[in-house]
Amino acid sequence: MSSIRLTSPSRPAQRMARAQLRSVSVADRRSAKPSMQIMVLISISALAIAFANLVLHILTSTAVYELADLQQQKKELTTTTQIIAEEVDSLASQQNLSNSAQKLGMIANANPVFLSIEEQKVYGKPTAALNTEGRVARNLIANSVMTEVSTGLNASVASTDVAPATNVANQKSPVGQVISNGGVIPASPTH
Amino acid sequence: MTYLTPGDPAKRLRWVILAILALVAIFAIRLIDLQIIQADAINAKSYEKRAVTRTIPALRGQILDVNGEVLAKTVFRYDINAAPSKVGPINRKISGQTVSVPVEQVAAEIAAILEMTPEEVVQKITGTGEYSQIKKRADASAYRKLVSLDVPWLYFDPVAERIYPNGAVAGNILGFITQSGLMEGIEQQYDKCLAGVDGEETFERGVDGIKIPSSVITTKKSAPGKNVRLTIDADLQYFAQQIMASTVSYLRADWGTATIIEVETGRILAAAEAPSVDPNDPGKLDADDRRARIFQAAFEPGSTLKTITAATVIETGLGTPNMKVTAPYGMIIPKSDGYKVTDSHYHPTEQLTMTGVLAESSNTGIMNVGKVVDWKTRYSFLEKFGLGKRTAINFPGEGSGLLNSTDEWSRDGVKRYVSMFGQGVSVTPIQSAMMYQAIGNNGVRLNPILVDGCEADVENFKNSEIKPGVQVISESSAAQTLSMLERVVESGAIGKYGAIPGYRVGAKTGTAQIRDENTGKYAGPYAISYFGVAPIEDPKYVVAVTAFKSRTVGSSLGVAGPFKKIMQQVLRTYRVPPSNSKTSDLPLNW
Repeated sequence: MSSIRLTSPSRPAQRMARAQLRSVSVADRRSAKPSMQIMVLISISALAIAFANLVLHILTSTAVYELADLQQQKKELTTTTQIIAEEVDSLASQQNLSNSAQKLGMIANANPVFLSIEEQKVYGKPTAALNTEGRVARNLIANSVMTEVSTGLNASVASTDVAPATNVANQKSPVGQVISNGGVIPASPTH
Repeated sequence: MTYLTPGDPAKRLRWVILAILALVAIFAIRLIDLQIIQADAINAKSYEKRAVTRTIPALRGQILDVNGEVLAKTVFRYDINAAPSKVGPINRKISGQTVSVPVEQVAAEIAAILEMTPEEVVQKITGTGEYSQIKKRADASAYRKLVSLDVPWLYFDPVAERIYPNGAVAGNILGFITQSGLMEGIEQQYDKCLAGVDGEETFERGVDGIKIPSSVITTKKSAPGKNVRLTIDADLQYFAQQIMASTVSYLRADWGTATIIEVETGRILAAAEAPSVDPNDPGKLDADDRRARIFQAAFEPGSTLKTITAATVIETGLGTPNMKVTAPYGMIIPKSDGYKVTDSHYHPTEQLTMTGVLAESSNTGIMNVGKVVDWKTRYSFLEKFGLGKRTAINFPGEGSGLLNSTDEWSRDGVKRYVSMFGQGVSVTPIQSAMMYQAIGNNGVRLNPILVDGCEADVENFKNSEIKPGVQVISESSAAQTLSMLERVVESGAIGKYGAIPGYRVGAKTGTAQIRDENTGKYAGPYAISYFGVAPIEDPKYVVAVTAFKSRTVGSSLGVAGPFKKIMQQVLRTYRVPPSNSKTSDLPLNW
């Protein structure tokens, strides 16, 4: 209450204050300009962000489709790898190799010979792989996943069967049969 | 004529505002109901429609041979399915024109790819259902061709399947996995290592089936199985299996085995069997023939056990390879109510050395050799040589063989005697091979090794650790026993058929009668064996060959040839140079 009493008589001061208010209103108009700018800036920023978000979303969506496409490609390549690996497995299987070796008329030499370079010696008696015991037997071991087999081997078989004269058994070495020379590595006939 | 009364516009405006407010209120209530009250339930329902949970299958690990060759691996096969209700002609673009292809033609194309008849395919795709399986587990090549047909009513379900690229090579050891999950062999024993852990992926997808970019993906990573490496050499294994398949066929035997052991390590380089199962198609063989008999089948070894009797006598110091023995044709076992043991063929009484007894494979001779050692000592040596106990491999279903208790031996004098030549006891092929490994390895019996370990990266495999063995007999006793075995190959009537030119080989033959479980009597056909070590001057490898119930050859002659071929291949494979030392000159007679 005491404060009302103190301020109520000062009317000239109130008039001054109103005058001052008018000038403040001018100042307010001036300060409204920056707030408007801020509003516009915020709006533009929001729109820009929304637009950027939209662009990013579109890009991400596109990337997802690309990713799906790449994953499909990867799947295709994995399938291709599997198909090829299974073909290689078949061709590399012992069963296929054994059949191929037999078709080619291959003979395992039961008398291995070892050359010791350090000792300059021959271990074993070198003999040609002539016996029929060493002939590679046809495959007897089952393999139900052997889907691929080597081809193009028949010509060799035919030549082996039809022209026995070309068989190793009938060939004579131009320098004579290789014989172990007292356990010492024989000198090469080439000088 | 009527006129609209102007009324009270302010009042009308109030009503309109009120109506709008009421509408807004209704929408607001509904919005609150949907967005807040029912939000969780609706979200869940929506997620259910969009979300897809997919299992990411973990591939089972590979089984490799010692050189890294793949013996077992997992690939994808494809179940080929159709939706019969949607079956109809399909459109194809041919030379820029869209052509309708009738169902019959499509069916014929599918049939050609799947190696079926068109009628079979038509039968499968006819109907009103949504699902019909045309073929199970088509291979990737067929799948690829079917995909290229672009048939909208065909569906493909990938299924992981185990394949064994080398078929029956080591099939009995590898075991197999059936579609019902039944496992055998290494597949069973190392399942924990080989099996991976399936992962799981949950994502949301649109109508087109593509993942929604911002959808939450919950992923549980799949962990692929690890790999197992065997000590088996696949090429050597194949060679031995070829020989055994041929041998079993020729002998018309029930089955045959060939075991190859590295003497200094106990590593099993080949464990060949005939018949051998192709794990890709195990149903083709009887259950009995799918077993790994090398570990599971116990039989009375016969004369191959004479080597152990002789080694025991030498080790105890009660005899030497030159020990003088009398070997009559027949002999009655003391205190046995007249139980008579004879040799395989009639002969007058012979004066043989212990070496001669092994070379001639005389039953009476070995009884006269073995009786110098008390039966409890002999029993303990049989135990030390590994009889009656499963090996450390602990292969699934592995047999322990049969070594009767000492109580039974103390009651049964016949068992004590006949065990000297391999009757009344039974052994598995792996136990037999390891007995000879001990003799070749300066008397130290090692644990056999079949698996090098379990690794995620195949580059990390190292040879399995060799655990200290059991010194069964002394180095000197082992050397003397080897010398006797060499004489068996040099001079034995059958032993010489296993000789390998250029190499010093020691071996023992065995022609064991098979006990009829019903009558308890021994009779043919026989279990014939040929177990050997080479080269004698520095033993590297043991090859143990057995054919069970040989019907065309009634002696171990039937397996001497196969032994020779396999041992030759082993020596060649591992580059063992021919022997250059003198052979033993132990006398056979006195």
